[in-house]
Amino acid sequence: MVNERHNKPDYMDATVERQVASIVIVGGGTAGWLAAATIAARADPAAPAPLSVTLVESPDVPTIGVGEGTWPTIRRTLSRIGIPEAEFLAACDASFKQGSRFDGWRTGAPDDSYLHPFTAPIDADARGLVAAWAASDEPRFAAAVTPQARACALDLAPRQRAMPDYAGALNYAYHLDAVKLAALLQRHATRRLGVAHVRDHVVGVDRCENGDIAAVRCRDHGAIAGDLFIDCTGHAALLIGGAFDVPFIDRGHELFNDRALAVQVPVAPDSAIGATTNATAHDAGWIWDIGLPTRRGVGCVYASAFLSDDEAAASLRAYLARTAPGADLEALAPRRLAFRSGHRARFWERNCLALGLSAGFLEPLEASAIVTIELGLDALLDNFPATRASMAAHARRYNDLFRYRWDRIVDFLKLHYVLSERDQPYWRANRAPASIPDRLAELLAIWRHQPPSAQDFAAVNEIFPAASYQYVLYGMGMAPPPPGPVRIDGHDAAATSIRQITQRARALAASLPTNRAYLDALRAERPHGIVA
Amino acid sequence: MNPNHVLLTVDAHRDLRLRTDRSPDLGDAVMTAIAMPREFRDVQRHYPILFRLDATRDAFTAYAMFGFETGENLFLDGARWDADYLPLAHDIQPFLIGGADAGGNRQVHLDLASPRIAGAAEGMRLFEPEGTPTPYLESIAEKLGQLDAGFAESADFFAALRRHDLLEPLTLEVTLNDGSTHRLVGFHVIDEDRLRTLDGVALGELHGDGHLMPIFMALASLGNIRDLVARKNKRIGHG
Repeated sequence: MVNERHNKPDYMDATVERQVASIVIVGGGTAGWLAAATIAARADPAAPAPLSVTLVESPDVPTIGVGEGTWPTIRRTLSRIGIPEAEFLAACDASFKQGSRFDGWRTGAPDDSYLHPFTAPIDADARGLVAAWAASDEPRFAAAVTPQARACALDLAPRQRAMPDYAGALNYAYHLDAVKLAALLQRHATRRLGVAHVRDHVVGVDRCENGDIAAVRCRDHGAIAGDLFIDCTGHAALLIGGAFDVPFIDRGHELFNDRALAVQVPVAPDSAIGATTNATAHDAGWIWDIGLPTRRGVGCVYASAFLSDDEAAASLRAYLARTAPGADLEALAPRRLAFRSGHRARFWERNCLALGLSAGFLEPLEASAIVTIELGLDALLDNFPATRASMAAHARRYNDLFRYRWDRIVDFLKLHYVLSERDQPYWRANRAPASIPDRLAELLAIWRHQPPSAQDFAAVNEIFPAASYQYVLYGMGMAPPPPGPVRIDGHDAAATSIRQITQRARALAASLPTNRAYLDALRAERPHGIVA
Repeated sequence: MNPNHVLLTVDAHRDLRLRTDRSPDLGDAVMTAIAMPREFRDVQRHYPILFRLDATRDAFTAYAMFGFETGENLFLDGARWDADYLPLAHDIQPFLIGGADAGGNRQVHLDLASPRIAGAAEGMRLFEPEGTPTPYLESIAEKLGQLDAGFAESADFFAALRRHDLLEPLTLEVTLNDGSTHRLVGFHVIDEDRLRTLDGVALGELHGDGHLMPIFMALASLGNIRDLVARKNKRIGHG
């Protein structure tokens, strides 16, 4: 499909001084429309060479739209794009997400459950914090160090409706209908932000003499030229993979899961809406459970090397029978998704940046997909290549940064598996040293004697900070470090703060509405929710 | 709406929520609130404190003033109450002090007819799901206790004021920037000249009974009339 140097229209004469002004996004899923809206919203219309944003979306290719979990970064992203929070919540059937709950990951016993909340522990020296928790009478790390645990247990919203948009009493993100998010972003980007929308099928790529992409050729619209191309074509990876053939690095030997069976379960109108993504471990993977106002998204993630599709379906059915007793299981036809955990060796090649599934995908645990797109856009726009000449340096930096980030996500996801005491072959294999990334193995050795701290995660804007590792590590039952030869400072201050957590949690819990009450009140106020 | 006072209990009100925001619709558009001598120190930081004689009971009551006419609260700006202290008697609404239970503890009553209760699915809980009072209800209980003690002390305070003839009628005429005049009648204030003539024995007695501090606080509060006039001028667009 790649036609190289077949003829040379004007736009192929790419001179190095040329301003980067025309951005062409290929693909109209979550990644494509997030990119279009974010870039257009942050562009300066008064610039000498104002940015133009064109999104080419194939009418033939359905979007995947499974990713229903986000990270708190989404609030800043939506705020920058200029969508009011109430409009977003109504248009995307969204609910509030305050973290993830992990059931059965350690032993599988009925009381085996821990929380990874979005609100960081009280501000304290890491060693002092963990020592103060160990000395407290609260056995659950998250409940000891943040009032968010109680709010999550009671299905409460993280904010009151009177608060300013995107502000909360607790840190939060959203559960959402990803198809509706893409639709909302499309309306907003095309009607308010001046993004050009081309519905056409890309049939080829025109290359410049230097190897850059000059244009994507469409079936009906012909060549669409640009200075910077953003590949949001999903697993197809039309540009980064198809045109540039950047290798795909498989991470399946570290993260075994490669299949998912997804269903949507309707919920009763007055049912509670959970505050967390619930992840319940099974014999060869885990089951996600995400509550929206009108439905629950439930999916069984598994490793095909350890579990057949039929066994996975049985596992999903058993979970639904237990957690959705009224649901008509026969009427629910699970959708089967296959994926490979891995990513490109490089994400920015010449004048093409890959965002979303084209850049890579790791299993859905901890919902890293959308946040990785947002961070990619932040990195692009905070370091925008003003000219083609500056692009190579930016690409190199971006590739280094994002290789680091993908590696850190793999480390963090793997952390959820390596401390398990479950005995099934899948879980034992997950603990095999050969499957554990070197850096994670080294950190685990260090964390026997000191808690995860900022020193372990020195980069700017780490996707998962030390706090996330603390929540998972101590949630999975790792013992607090024994006293060492160096005195722990800050123990008393941390102990005082921990004693105040209970009272803060009680005060917050009394003042926050339930997710159901908040979202129903929002809908009552906006009966026709969808307005772009 | 007629009041509907009920005894607050965990069983009946475990999941009840109240609106604790401020709004004219929630009963905050009021010109005055009763103030207790023990809270004059806090009240006088924002509001004038005036006294009024209830002729039928021949008893004085102290009021914190929020406006110049019925229904006018110049501290209420939409949903914002522009002061960091609310007189207890207003702050505790829609709760009331009930009678004593068998153990002699005063009960907490609640006015179910209050607009603060209707459909408050998003409001403040009174009880935790386990049935323990929330920090909010704990603070209400504390304030009700203060109010109860304040009521008990008031009779003594006003008796002392009358014994020393320390109250004089006030006729306040306020001319606003738009030229209109407003008269505030029927209130009393501390008679400052009379207070100056009291001898050491009388002052010692007032001080010993804890009345001297609230007397001076009430006197100091009159400076807030100027602030209230400024608020009124601002509201009519002549600020």
